[in-house]
Amino acid sequence: MAKGVEISTNEQLYVLESLKQGFRTDGRKLDEARQPNITLSPTEYGYVEIEWGLTKLAVRVSAEIVAPYEDRPFEGLFMINTEISPMASAQFENGKNSDDEILISRLIEKAIRRSNALDLESLCIVAGSKVWQIRADINFLNYDGGIIDASSLGVMVALQHFKKPDISINGEDIIVHSIDERQPIPLSILHVPICISFLFFNPVGIEENIKGDLNEEISIIDANQQEELLRDGSLVITINKNRDLIQLSKNGGLPIDVMLLMQLAKKAYVIADNLTDKIKDLLQADEKERYERMNLKLLEVGADR
Amino acid sequence: MSRMELYSPEGLRIDGRRWNELRRFECRINTHPSSSDGSSYIEQGNTKIICMVQGPMEPSLKSQTNSSKASIEINLSIANFSTIERKKRLKNEKRLIELKTTLERTFEQSVICKLYPRTVIQINLHVLCQDGGLLAGMTNAITLALIDAGVAMYDYVSAISAGLYDQTPLLDLNTLEENDMSCLTIGVVGKSEKLALLLLEDKMPLDLLESVLAIGIAGGHRVRDLMDNEVRKHGNIRSSRLVDQ
Repeated sequence: MAKGVEISTNEQLYVLESLKQGFRTDGRKLDEARQPNITLSPTEYGYVEIEWGLTKLAVRVSAEIVAPYEDRPFEGLFMINTEISPMASAQFENGKNSDDEILISRLIEKAIRRSNALDLESLCIVAGSKVWQIRADINFLNYDGGIIDASSLGVMVALQHFKKPDISINGEDIIVHSIDERQPIPLSILHVPICISFLFFNPVGIEENIKGDLNEEISIIDANQQEELLRDGSLVITINKNRDLIQLSKNGGLPIDVMLLMQLAKKAYVIADNLTDKIKDLLQADEKERYERMNLKLLEVGADR
Repeated sequence: MSRMELYSPEGLRIDGRRWNELRRFECRINTHPSSSDGSSYIEQGNTKIICMVQGPMEPSLKSQTNSSKASIEINLSIANFSTIERKKRLKNEKRLIELKTTLERTFEQSVICKLYPRTVIQINLHVLCQDGGLLAGMTNAITLALIDAGVAMYDYVSAISAGLYDQTPLLDLNTLEENDMSCLTIGVVGKSEKLALLLLEDKMPLDLLESVLAIGIAGGHRVRDLMDNEVRKHGNIRSSRLVDQ
């Protein structure tokens, strides 16, 4: 059990018993995910705040020009930085990387960086010497479960919202135009991976789980902190709108049946599909709002000046 | 796309296997009787892994003591010469820590930890040679070593990797295949269809997942049989020695 957060036996039994009856303590159904609340910064490109139930985090995307790796001269760099501080919850220690934290950052990394969600080749300015480095910093403000889901969503929204300054190349020199001078350029996103996490509870004994024919394991979507502390096993599914699984990760824990896994993957797809649409609408609305506020209409070709 | 023919129209793979065939799987138990309580050595194709189990024993630090169950501690050491390119590896690389925690959490569920309160079970893994299916090999080695150590477990955990080439699922990938197709590692509990661990790191179409899982489970059961044979053979030799005395 995590340090600093204790759950009494009474509470433990109560949560498990209510799950058996199909209820959750916060009134959701077993397969109901919380609806995230996404706030885009009206002034800055690439700053996003996500409220996922009580879980809250902020993502800031920034860009700078650096030299590429020697073995990959045509590719830009992309880093995701996750540092979990005790501000989020007492169970995270400052400066010390616990296994849980490494697992979290590794999962986010695999979901977004390894799956090539961001097109790195489009970040190249001069092959072998100058490329853009995109950096996503995640700040965890409050923790109430679902940290992987929320941070991967946050990074993806922030990447789509971010715009890098326009540049022009003049021989060896590179001129970076400020945002006021020229319209900044959005990043090229290849696909939008969405992480959905599931938790498993074992209502019967472990012998029944391994030898029994009935599959009575309870699975819930998007758990809160209390449920996360009491879990017997967990699974993270990352999927995108194209019905591609990006990653599946069940790091040990309670053995679960394959049929259950297939069902969960299908559920995850429905949620990911809805979320992707929601993000798209939100970004479009933001774009429109900026367009009107900044009077970009005046810049369009054929505008009546 | 690879220049090599990973799966020929005749249905043969690079090393001459068909889609549903395992590589040579050989295992030995009780290989290091004087330096550990239980040990095993497995060869899965060219992947070679030694596993040694110490314990259940007194924890070195009092703070690690769990009064309700045994704690499992896994140390991974991957030899620098295990791949073609000799690499200097950092001990706390994120990928290795992920593998380590995955294995710890898997075996916390399949070892009957509550029988050994206030103890620690230390598992040392040495990877001598890597040729695909690293996580699978490590899981199988740990299962065998734990059995050799006489640690109570609910059932075998047998693991195997499976990949998807175009539309065809392939069983037990080697390094060449792993680099060029998406690969899934599963750990199956005994003869059931339950998964103790599951790891997919590359893209795979949702609609083809079921077929890959299906051959993975069949392969996992086959590996379990091979491990079971070895354990029984070893047991028979030992009991016959007892009769002779």
